[in-house]
Amino acid sequence: MADQSIAGPVKAMGASEGDRSGRARAVILMLCLGLAGAVLLSLTSGASDASAVNVIRDWLFGTIPGDAALNARDSLIVHDIRLPRVILGMLVGAALAVCGAVMQGLFRNPLADPGLIGVSAGSSLGAVAIIVLGGTMLAPVTALLGTLALPLAAFFGALATTLVLYQVATRRGQTSVATMLLAGIALAALAMALTGILIFMADDRQLRDLTFWSLGSLGGATWAKIASVGPIIVLALAAMPFLARGLNALALGEAAAGHLGIPVQRLKYTAIIGVSAAVGASVAVSGGIGFVGIVVPHLLRLLIGPDNRYLLPASALLGASLLLLADAVARTIVAPAELPIGIVTAVAGAPFFLWILLRKRGVIDL
Amino acid sequence: MIEARDVSVAIGKKRIVANVDFEVRPGEISAIVGPNGSGKTTFLKAMSGDLVHTGRILINGRELSKMKPVEAATVRAVLPQATTLSFPFTVREIVRLGLVGGRSGVLPGEDERLPERALARVDLDGFAGRFYQELSGGEQQRVQLARVLCQVWAPVLDGGPRYLFLDEPVSSLDIKHQLIIMNIARDFARRGGGVVAILHDLNLTAMFADRIFVMHRGRLAATGSPRDVLSDDLIENVFDCRLKVGVLPAGNMPFVLPQSAA
Repeated sequence: MADQSIAGPVKAMGASEGDRSGRARAVILMLCLGLAGAVLLSLTSGASDASAVNVIRDWLFGTIPGDAALNARDSLIVHDIRLPRVILGMLVGAALAVCGAVMQGLFRNPLADPGLIGVSAGSSLGAVAIIVLGGTMLAPVTALLGTLALPLAAFFGALATTLVLYQVATRRGQTSVATMLLAGIALAALAMALTGILIFMADDRQLRDLTFWSLGSLGGATWAKIASVGPIIVLALAAMPFLARGLNALALGEAAAGHLGIPVQRLKYTAIIGVSAAVGASVAVSGGIGFVGIVVPHLLRLLIGPDNRYLLPASALLGASLLLLADAVARTIVAPAELPIGIVTAVAGAPFFLWILLRKRGVIDL
Repeated sequence: MIEARDVSVAIGKKRIVANVDFEVRPGEISAIVGPNGSGKTTFLKAMSGDLVHTGRILINGRELSKMKPVEAATVRAVLPQATTLSFPFTVREIVRLGLVGGRSGVLPGEDERLPERALARVDLDGFAGRFYQELSGGEQQRVQLARVLCQVWAPVLDGGPRYLFLDEPVSSLDIKHQLIIMNIARDFARRGGGVVAILHDLNLTAMFADRIFVMHRGRLAATGSPRDVLSDDLIENVFDCRLKVGVLPAGNMPFVLPQSAA
């Protein structure tokens, strides 16, 4: 029989016992404040001494005479270096966290994560193909699509991997976790091998680009990059809340979700395309940033429960905040150099992932 | 009324259900009985729209295969044999999922109170705040029934009857809750809905079913009222057991006891 103490946080709510929507709303509100704080911190911290406070004061009240020269430099750093980086970080963090939550709902498994099951690797393959072959074999593609070539290639890489994975791991509406994880490993290995071949073909300059890119970084964020992937991520994220009710029903299994009136096939394909688009776009601009998609939804489920109507927006907010904080660490810990952010998220996320496994030992049946 | 005409289901090359004719009338409990592997669950899945089948299935005169998921969800709710979850939902959150389709049939604004009422009906008062994964199998089954009840709370909607599909609703329950659940089904039928239930307990079937469909090797072996269908010969032919069917002196109701084995 269940230990009442485990249900402690939930039970003391009287008439609405078991209803966590009130708490979820409060948490979302706090996450909004937290994100605002993370944005301020990111704008004000960095290798240069540029004062974001001055710049923000200028935005609000106009330039103070005499400070103009200094402020022009600060303004440049804040406007063209820090601000795009903050926006990109928010977009990528929100995308990775929400995609993690959606995939977990889709696969009915808390361990599904784009990075873990090969979707990011497939996406990387698409991106690397454009980086290495964009000047030669794939020149017509890059000529045709311009700056969209990279995110689109990453999107199709992610889409192909997710579709194959779903076909392999799902039989008659039931997804086998063991098959999913193992197929993910196989697909990731295949994608990485193909990526390896491309890297083998790359020249020195491309090689250097690739190494830094694959470790994951928000460095080199520009307004142009935001313009090319921002709309994709925003669109994909905007579609996700419409999946929340369906994903909740899907927790009961595909057949039961169908019996509740959910158009399950449409839900699955919308989710897969949305996740592929958002992951593809994120990978295209920032490389492999791992563990955000698994850590953020897991923490939030402990806090507000698994209801996707709240989990998805909360994941977006917490994912964005955490990635900004990770980026702040990456930028400052070895200043004036900077650490690839993928290293920061992995160092923090991998032990967390092990902790989930230990806590759930015996609960997660492979 | 639900009518299934000449329904066959094949999984791979194996025919699991062959040429079954079946109906569920509003106001009645139709029980499907039969030995393990006789195709009961497969047939119910075909009726729920989960499996590709041949033949026709009509719900209130409309072809099931042409109904959208949400239309089908309005006229029937399905209780599966068992449901496991991978996420820590509370009992209330699960029961509320029954309201996803939005046509419970109560007055507007009453929906919010349905989970409580449904939980009370399945004898789970005070369980709303518990975590589903921490309940026993029988309790989980009753939570799922509460969810299913929310979905079709009113047995009649827009003048048309609605249906409950129950796949072994009582097999994990103690005897008190078996009776509670079967009485819920009977009440649903009395108020104008239709019930299909796969049952293993022949005595419970005799007590509650208005009509029995006996399945054997994918085919319909017999149909009729419990009194007409449950006989020594049928038990022997279908269930491969030599038992004597008795009749209760008071209620004219047949019963089968394993002690009567020859």
